Amino acid sequence: MATATPPPLIPASVDAPKLDYTPQGVPPAEPTAAEDRTRKHYLNHDTSLLGWLLTVDHKRIGLMYLVGVSIFFVAGAIAVGLVRTNLITPTGAILELDQYNKAFTAHGTIMLFLFLIPVIPGVLGNYLVPLMIGAKDMAFPKLNLMSFYVWAFGAMFFLYQLLVGGLDTGWTLYPPYSTKYSHTNVLYAGLGIFITGFSSILTGINIIATVHKMRCPGMTWGRLPLFVWAMYATSVIQLLGTPVLAVTVVMAAVEKLFGVGIFDPKIGGDPLLFQHMFWFYSHPAVYIMILPGMGVINEVLTCFSRKNIFGYAAVAWSSVGIAVVGFLVWGHHMFLAGQGYYLSMVFAFLTMLVAVPSAIKVFNWTATLYGGVISYQAPMIFAIGFIVLFTIGGLTGLFLGTMGADIHLHDTYFVIAHFHYTMVGGMMFAWQAGLHFWWPKMTGRMYSDFWSRLAAVVMLVGFALTFLPQFVVGFLGMPRRYPNYPDEFQIYNVMSTAAAYIQGIGYAMPVFYLTASLFFGKKAGNNPYKATGLEWATTSPPDAHNFPHTPTVYFGPYEYGVPDGLSIVEKMTATDHGAHTNGTATQGVTSGS
Amino acid sequence: MFAVMDTPPILPPQASEFAVQYDLLFWYISGVCTLGGCAVYALLTYCCFRFAKSDTHTKPQRILGSNKLEVIWTVIPLLFFLSFFVYGARIWDMAISIPKEAAEREYFVAGKQWMWKVQDPDGRRQINEMTLCAGVPVKVTGTSEDVIHDFGVPAFRSKFDVVPGRYTAAWYKPTVPGTYHLFCDQYCGQGHSQMVGKVYVLSADDFAAWQQGWYKSKDRVQRTWPGGEMPKGPLDGSPAWQGALLFRKLQCNGCHFTQTTDDPTPPKAPTLENLYGTKRELNDGKLVTADEGYIRNAIRNPALQVRSGWKPIMPAYHGGLATETDIHNLTAYIRSLKPGDLPNRVERTPTPIGGAPKASQSEPKKEGN
Repeated sequence: MATATPPPLIPASVDAPKLDYTPQGVPPAEPTAAEDRTRKHYLNHDTSLLGWLLTVDHKRIGLMYLVGVSIFFVAGAIAVGLVRTNLITPTGAILELDQYNKAFTAHGTIMLFLFLIPVIPGVLGNYLVPLMIGAKDMAFPKLNLMSFYVWAFGAMFFLYQLLVGGLDTGWTLYPPYSTKYSHTNVLYAGLGIFITGFSSILTGINIIATVHKMRCPGMTWGRLPLFVWAMYATSVIQLLGTPVLAVTVVMAAVEKLFGVGIFDPKIGGDPLLFQHMFWFYSHPAVYIMILPGMGVINEVLTCFSRKNIFGYAAVAWSSVGIAVVGFLVWGHHMFLAGQGYYLSMVFAFLTMLVAVPSAIKVFNWTATLYGGVISYQAPMIFAIGFIVLFTIGGLTGLFLGTMGADIHLHDTYFVIAHFHYTMVGGMMFAWQAGLHFWWPKMTGRMYSDFWSRLAAVVMLVGFALTFLPQFVVGFLGMPRRYPNYPDEFQIYNVMSTAAAYIQGIGYAMPVFYLTASLFFGKKAGNNPYKATGLEWATTSPPDAHNFPHTPTVYFGPYEYGVPDGLSIVEKMTATDHGAHTNGTATQGVTSGS
Repeated sequence: MFAVMDTPPILPPQASEFAVQYDLLFWYISGVCTLGGCAVYALLTYCCFRFAKSDTHTKPQRILGSNKLEVIWTVIPLLFFLSFFVYGARIWDMAISIPKEAAEREYFVAGKQWMWKVQDPDGRRQINEMTLCAGVPVKVTGTSEDVIHDFGVPAFRSKFDVVPGRYTAAWYKPTVPGTYHLFCDQYCGQGHSQMVGKVYVLSADDFAAWQQGWYKSKDRVQRTWPGGEMPKGPLDGSPAWQGALLFRKLQCNGCHFTQTTDDPTPPKAPTLENLYGTKRELNDGKLVTADEGYIRNAIRNPALQVRSGWKPIMPAYHGGLATETDIHNLTAYIRSLKPGDLPNRVERTPTPIGGAPKASQSEPKKEGN
């Protein structure tokens, strides 16, 4: 079709926005029912097993991650089901001491290394980053596939380790317990951590290269969706932090296998060295977990409140700020470990600084809602749940980052409650928001509105009630990792366990209605939420190469609030059907390998 | 008492001077965070209801942001966070600055899978129990026989990691008599949750009575004084005294001894008199301060730091030969050595060194001296 810059949709007489409202590549028309039945898209163009296993399509790889992390989420959830059930009575309801230790370790290692770290980068990052920046695939599609298999290979070691007796060191693997005193499968778990770490590094490299080199014409850094900014910041952390963890694990293995004194003081090592190296990765790792979640929240909040993000630059740069300063605060895990006073002061000070970007994000999200037109579909309920819970998670982190206040709260249930509020209340809710938000794009089907909203509320209530009592019992002094505890703490543990079951029901619900949606869900259409992102400017599910033509971008990612109240995409589809090309398909960086 | 309360507690007992100060910090942070959180929630609730989509409300505004607001909500939280930092550093300083009078009453704690071995300044040893006198500040020094543990007493808002290979310390001034929880807070393996105990804070009178009762037990007498009888003369079971016994039992004075006119053999190892706290030169030229850590290291790994002018002939005393408590007591003994105190090379039974157990002022004279 002939090239032409489509006419501006906003009349020149409107003075409010200073941007030129030229549409950013017109989305393809909705396929008709007949077309839809025969249409080839990324899910059905090659349905052979090898077509899936050897695919280099970022969308298929994303779905493979989805299956993988979901399996491990179930495994981690079963482990914590055992833990919480055991805590109903002060002497342990169902497990022996060893079994309890293995159960909470399984919960921690699986949830962190095999769920929280890969879930959003692996699934949504893979799936959405190329779509959002108008690329046909990642910069290194084969590396992307390799990174999935490296992850799966590493995960096998975790599985093997579970099957041959488990691990009882806690996910933190502190020596000399892990290197000398534990008789469980530390080496297999270490191998698992080592190998999955490489997957994390490869994914990071890939996303950084993709964001740098694959943006479509007009997609400047200032027009990147904030999810992409968050993924970019995450990738930088993965790239810089994960090698240190790998080195640490190797050092621990060398000590365990060959008796070289690195961490065990009996043979001349220093146990604090391990903690420094471990937390040098593992503190930034919590930002690896939460930053992509924050990115998702930006996309969902703007769409369902029909608003620009409030303070794009502040939100984008706060992600970078978290990534940079987040590397310099690891010592706040070690205030009580015997590190020096002045060292602790530096870490405590930087910890207070790193709290600021998170606060900025919360304020900007809340302000984004101001003046919007808010509708409450499931992704939005999850996103608001995220803000509510993450606020508590962030504020309680301040207690732990304050040197004096950490003395009493360190290693108690207060810490457990704090990081579950950020990791589950934050990350898990962001993941659910993202999964629900982009599910129609991934599958082409809508899920049940009622059940999804109900699930969001059940999860929110169950979650809050599980962890609120833990703040109280933590302040009372109940240490973490205790299968047996004093009688007077029982009431709080029973409350927590009861609510954990409610939460469990909440997590089980999406399995049913999302699966049902694949078979019975109504067709989603290209853009069911009338969202502005480039990923919605293609068919659902997308073609194997994402876009029929490389789009061109003329404005920022969240232009929901055009002056007459209609979203730009509604306008585009209403007025500009069929004007597929804009003559710039060849201007972009060539995509593919 | 805390342990027998029927209604579930909401706040932990405040049983030390530090706990009061700590709670002020805790409630200050709680207050600020509650206000901040409520402000966010109020705005969120307002927006969620006021701007919900309805038949009449369909037009969003186009707001891109406000630099003024960004500055406001960057600077105000930052100022509060920094106030947490400053106040928190002050409280931390309070927790780690051990007052002189507390340092004079030093409890020694050795963590071991899965028990706490506590030795008080008078040499009394308890397992998973610690008995303190209300109003008397004490220092607690700890180390571990195996893995990392953490000695935590919630009622005192105190906690410190007990790390193998190094000494860490805290101090308390217990105020309210009662029985309080003692927890291991750092995961240490199978019996982590069994590594719990009680801290008894007794009033001055009760503490004195408890001390008297302690020495009446016959096997305690036998364990504390070889020969099975309380010695006539100065009564002494202090750490330094126990160290003195051990020093001879382990035959440390086979090498570290005082040359006498009867036995002109020269010592094979440097003298330990007046050693503590001084700078010593090693045979690689380094200067080190002879503190607890140095002495501990010199017993556990003698070859690592050899005094200049001496040969590395000392065998290593690993955990099977000397427990951490033994090493603490040996250090206390070495610390007490003044010129002329070091025994000769054959001496096996020391004379008690220091009068009655150096207990708190409230302690009455012992019976049966």
